[in-house]
Amino acid sequence: MIEVGLLALRLALIAAGYAVLASIFGARKRRPDLVASGRAAAYVVHGLIVVAAAVLLRALLQHDFSLEYVAAYSSSTLPTNYTVAALWGGQQGSLLFWTLILTSMSSLVLLQNRDRNEALMPYVTATLMTTAVFFLGLLVFITDPFQRLPVPAREGADLNPLLQNYWMMIHPPSLYLGYVGCSVPFAFAIAALATGRLGDVWIRTTRRWTLFAWFFLSVGNMLGGRWAYEVLGWGGYWAWDPVENAAFMPWLACTAFLHSVMIQEKRNMLKMWNMVLVLLTFTLTIFGTFLTRSGVVSSVHSFTQSGLGPYFIGFLVTVIAVSVTLLVIRRPLLRSDNEIDSFLSREAAFLFNNLLLVGIAFATFWGTVFPVISEAVRGVKITVGPPFFNKVNAPLGLALLFMTGVGPVIAWRRASARNLRRAFVVPLAVGFAAGLILLAAGVRHYYALVCFSLAGFVLTTIVLEFYRGTRARQALMGEPPVTALAHLVNKNRRRYGGYVIHVGVVMAFVGIAASAAFRIEEQHSMKAGDSIEVGGYTLTYQGMRSSDTPHTASMLAEITVARGGQVLTTMYPEKRFYKRQQQPTTEIALRTTLREDLYLVLGSYDDKSGLMTLQVFINPLVVWLWLGGITMVLGTMIVMMPTAAEQRALAAALAVEERAFA
Amino acid sequence: MNKNRRFIIGASIIVAAVAYLVYTGIRETSVYYLTIDEFLSRRTAVAGEGVRVAGRVGADSMRWNAGTLDLGFRLANFDNTDGVNVQYNGVLPDMFAEGRDVIVEGTYGHEGVFHAKTLMTSCPSKYEAEVPHEAEAPRPAEAPKS
Repeated sequence: MIEVGLLALRLALIAAGYAVLASIFGARKRRPDLVASGRAAAYVVHGLIVVAAAVLLRALLQHDFSLEYVAAYSSSTLPTNYTVAALWGGQQGSLLFWTLILTSMSSLVLLQNRDRNEALMPYVTATLMTTAVFFLGLLVFITDPFQRLPVPAREGADLNPLLQNYWMMIHPPSLYLGYVGCSVPFAFAIAALATGRLGDVWIRTTRRWTLFAWFFLSVGNMLGGRWAYEVLGWGGYWAWDPVENAAFMPWLACTAFLHSVMIQEKRNMLKMWNMVLVLLTFTLTIFGTFLTRSGVVSSVHSFTQSGLGPYFIGFLVTVIAVSVTLLVIRRPLLRSDNEIDSFLSREAAFLFNNLLLVGIAFATFWGTVFPVISEAVRGVKITVGPPFFNKVNAPLGLALLFMTGVGPVIAWRRASARNLRRAFVVPLAVGFAAGLILLAAGVRHYYALVCFSLAGFVLTTIVLEFYRGTRARQALMGEPPVTALAHLVNKNRRRYGGYVIHVGVVMAFVGIAASAAFRIEEQHSMKAGDSIEVGGYTLTYQGMRSSDTPHTASMLAEITVARGGQVLTTMYPEKRFYKRQQQPTTEIALRTTLREDLYLVLGSYDDKSGLMTLQVFINPLVVWLWLGGITMVLGTMIVMMPTAAEQRALAAALAVEERAFA
Repeated sequence: MNKNRRFIIGASIIVAAVAYLVYTGIRETSVYYLTIDEFLSRRTAVAGEGVRVAGRVGADSMRWNAGTLDLGFRLANFDNTDGVNVQYNGVLPDMFAEGRDVIVEGTYGHEGVFHAKTLMTSCPSKYEAEVPHEAEAPRPAEAPKS
């Protein structure tokens, strides 16, 4: 069985290589038969990877400890769902999983475009398959998932306890869907550059893929944050860890691309910039995959020194070199038809939005790699931590929040005084009022004040948009308000879905600002029966409980939570000991309300003295971060639903292109 | 041309702002990361500034008071011939024990004691995924500066 898996990987590598060569050669020499065989090869690669992944999965589920991978990442007592998750829990499995998603998406893209985009598709196939060749090369020659142990292990080392929770089932797959999803727009961009077809078609064709990738990157990042919050037990959700940054940077670049693309569609501008953004997004996904695997920068996730670093760097350099070369060659075709007329215009606002997003990505990138550069160049080891990222990204983030209110409502080309008044007077007034009210209420934390004022500003612009749009429909169509609103959103999914996403963004900013600025953190040493007062809660330690399973042994502190004399609930922060790895983990206890989270951590317990250390965090408004994430998800679903108008626009763009190249 | 020039200026302002933030950010918040040997050879030079030191918890040196949450130990080099006394107040990290590798972040006082704000331990690695565990001393209960 294992031999089948090994063979499948090797054949897939060969088939992928063939697909690249046949597609490019077939396109250049106008041999449709070769192009078709390249396509067929791509489907074959997909099938072979499915086989390889199935073999590895079967080995995991059957506890075949003769395989090094199975012995390293699972055990016979590991629950089934985590055994499945072990497929992506280790180095080789995660690379195979990446490749599985890549080849699945390639097949889907080929199917979607079997009757379209004839000129572009060979290059799309070639680009996607080149990426597959890289990953398969790693799997076949460097990190073999089917490596056998010289002597089969009697039992497995088990999956890392920190990974044994349901987040492990959803966070990596989501993030991988996002990462790999960015390959599709990239492949189309390369194809557009290679063929010189630099109109709208490639953008419109890949719009839904870009949204899809962005959706999963957003979800993946949010899930990662929630996981850190619930499992790592340090009271927060984001530590600017290199691997967190690795997932954040592509998201930023992708967000920038989604926005600037609208400028190209509407006014045929920023073509070069759009290309650069797509290439940047893909490069950042590969860079992110590299960061997680090379151990170059130490982090929570690093699969440590794995020797893969140089290969990833090689691939990155190749991708950048090819992309830049193509960009330089096609520069004349990427010149825009129009210019930006005024600072006070939507084009300018979107450009500023882009610069801010890319600026945040740059700052994050620099902070992440600076320690490595500093050591290489000056021989001095330095660490760059959350203080840097917060200091730099907070003001940029606030500027971005401001632009979120400006961009959607300011006029195209040149905003008149009338447009500015109508669009901004009320929202600015609300924003200022919100700020003044909070100031009067005693809030002195400047960043939080600015953030909440801006939140008021942005929300008002969005509410006004919905209100004015609904009223206009009511007047024109004579529909009752709710129907008018529903039709409004339905006819204009991109715009109003986008507004819903922005509402989610505002909610997230509010949650982040409040939980960062007003958090309370305390530690207390308690004996059974002791009570403490924190943030208005009375916490009483009742005593230790314990529990035991074949897999784990636990100690739980029973804490009664009361407010104003009334008992609210009982919470059980826990210290869990995983028997196989002889490793303790902390399981937090969490009580969430719309106003704040009460977050308890059992620090330590001394048997002799009976003293327990309790860490208490109160995180105000943090649930709004997660609710904001969910809102963004809903908004994205609205935006992704296809409309007839969109199909027509794509058909029209295709027709224009065919005439141009006929 | 005029419009383009305005653009370049506007974009340059943003770029300059980002560059300025990044430059001052690095300068003000980055912290030297030294091995215990490097630290020991230049401890007086780095006294008073924030620094991160990687070493090992010296044998027989751990003193933990569960009541006051005070921890004292010797951060030693790998053959335990030299070290520095460290003081920390806060939650004991899960994997902290004598003989284990640990990274401390804090300041070295002129009186010869290292005051640690953060302790980072790592799992004894039996498999590839190595996960460091962090514990921090509590920040004061009022709103921390951004």
